[in-house]
Amino acid sequence: MDLRDFEADNSVSCRLSSPVPDLCRTEDCCLGIDEAGRGPVLGPMVYGICFCPVSRKENLKNLKVADSKTLSEAERENLFLKLDKAKGFVGWALQILSPNTISTSMLQRAKYNLNALSHDAAIGLVQYALDCGVQLKEVFVDTVGPAEKYEEKLSQRFPGVKVTVRPKADSLFPIVSAASICAKVARDHAVKDWKFTEDLGRVDTDYGSGYPNDPKTKSWLLKYLDPVFGYPQFVRFSWSTAQTLLDSKAVPVHWDDDEDREKAAARQNNTSVLSYFSRSKPAGNTPKRETHRFFTERRLQSIDTL
Amino acid sequence: MTTKKKRSAHTSNDSWVVIAADSALDKTKLDDGDPTFIRLRNPATGAASQYLFSRGDARLYEVKAFVEDFHSWFIDQTVQRDGRLLYVTPMDPLFLLLPYLQSGAVEGKFQPLQQIVMDEDYPGCTRLLKCTQALDTLQHVADEKVVGSQKFHRYSQEKTMDWLKKKVLNTVSALKKSNISVGGGVKSTTYVRVKQETDVTEEDYLRYAHGLISEYISEDLSKDLHKHLQLPEISSPKEVEPPSKKRKLSDKPVEAGEDYTKFNSADFARKPPKKMTAAQKTLAKVDKTGMKSMSSFFSPKVKQEMK
Repeated sequence: MDLRDFEADNSVSCRLSSPVPDLCRTEDCCLGIDEAGRGPVLGPMVYGICFCPVSRKENLKNLKVADSKTLSEAERENLFLKLDKAKGFVGWALQILSPNTISTSMLQRAKYNLNALSHDAAIGLVQYALDCGVQLKEVFVDTVGPAEKYEEKLSQRFPGVKVTVRPKADSLFPIVSAASICAKVARDHAVKDWKFTEDLGRVDTDYGSGYPNDPKTKSWLLKYLDPVFGYPQFVRFSWSTAQTLLDSKAVPVHWDDDEDREKAAARQNNTSVLSYFSRSKPAGNTPKRETHRFFTERRLQSIDTL
Repeated sequence: MTTKKKRSAHTSNDSWVVIAADSALDKTKLDDGDPTFIRLRNPATGAASQYLFSRGDARLYEVKAFVEDFHSWFIDQTVQRDGRLLYVTPMDPLFLLLPYLQSGAVEGKFQPLQQIVMDEDYPGCTRLLKCTQALDTLQHVADEKVVGSQKFHRYSQEKTMDWLKKKVLNTVSALKKSNISVGGGVKSTTYVRVKQETDVTEEDYLRYAHGLISEYISEDLSKDLHKHLQLPEISSPKEVEPPSKKRKLSDKPVEAGEDYTKFNSADFARKPPKKMTAAQKTLAKVDKTGMKSMSSFFSPKVKQEMK
């Protein structure tokens, strides 16, 4: 698998795809969607679609594609090569969501959560297939969140296509298994040859599975924690594992949308209602000359010490 | 956020980010010592403020800091936690001398400057007397007498008022030149106006300039200057009385339009406030400063102002 397009800039989202088989433009097709790397704190999340003519489903079964989780890495590589060779009737496309994309989406001011991110990646890939002229009739998806809601969302988005959302779809439908293999292979490659944009010298690549509960991953996270910057872009900052470590080990950084601070400030600016009923006015209420608005509007103040 | 982050108090820095006038760092004369920061009595507040003397105390500069929450600097390979930006801008030293001259005026005598400008708390104030600009312009605020080789000074309120008035007028023209919004209404400086403000009067400019100059003089002087400029007092907004409602008259006995007793029943328990959706939360966070409430547009008082 050629990941050079992604490696050129692994801070953003990237789409990779096979050429679309001519058969898929003329015959009714089915399409499977699956993802790889949803849970890890390290590396990208990859969304994959695979499509083939409905009439060729049997051929796909003969390739013995199965749920990528039940296969060894070597078997997956093998199967992907087979899929890639079957370009006469099988097409695939991938959306690689870089860890940086995931971090910045989930941590931005208007929160964009992982489910929404996943749904949009899936929708984008289906739309891509339609735009390429694939005659889509059936779509099979492994669920993200409640299955009925997701199915309704996709059906509304793509009228005229029969959408089936099922948990464990990757073991039920060969076309979803195929998609899961493409996604998993891409994720493995991306993680294995991760090009660190940060200047870290020789990076210790022994980060284990990348899942938060892996002790190797945890000790790697501790090792590469910079007190000011936190982690390299390889790490999903929005994961609670990463955040907990940052909160305890790194320098505190305050943003103006930090919830707890906002409340504290609101409390500070308010005078308690009770104070208006007491005999003496609160000490802080003595009239003080207000700074002219020219300065307050520009946030300028006199200072007494440097 | 999983844990609460505590904000420690600002610690003093050994470096600052400063924008200074070239003249403040003038290097032509080498024998007079370096430019120095100094704490002097702020003429408006009476408290300490930072100032800067250029080389040889020839000129005075005030130090203002841009301070806003949640800012930090990256300076080369280091991080500076305070995001302050210091401005070192030229200042008329007469403003700093005025309080001393005024307090000396109580006795009504002509005195040598060295006797007037003394301050136990801020011994550095005597360096003001080296400022050439201060010495050259003293006659704007004080009467002068020369006896032999010595000069004596006495504070003059009339002169000071005229001098301050000129300052205000200068400020007005500077405000106009730099297109600073002096009217009421929207207060954000980042807000870009499409239309020129048309309803800004000369009085608005005068009032704004008076406010600016007042940042450099005592409160009493500010009041005197206000009178001297013949600015009308701003009357505090009258208390708004609720509009008298016209009652419909009818002969029929009054009956309740709705049955409120249902609220008394037991099953009408108070429900907990509904959880806000993410969209509502973000809406609630919007900066509402300068916004008017919708209802204010419908009150009769606003209508009067519009006329």
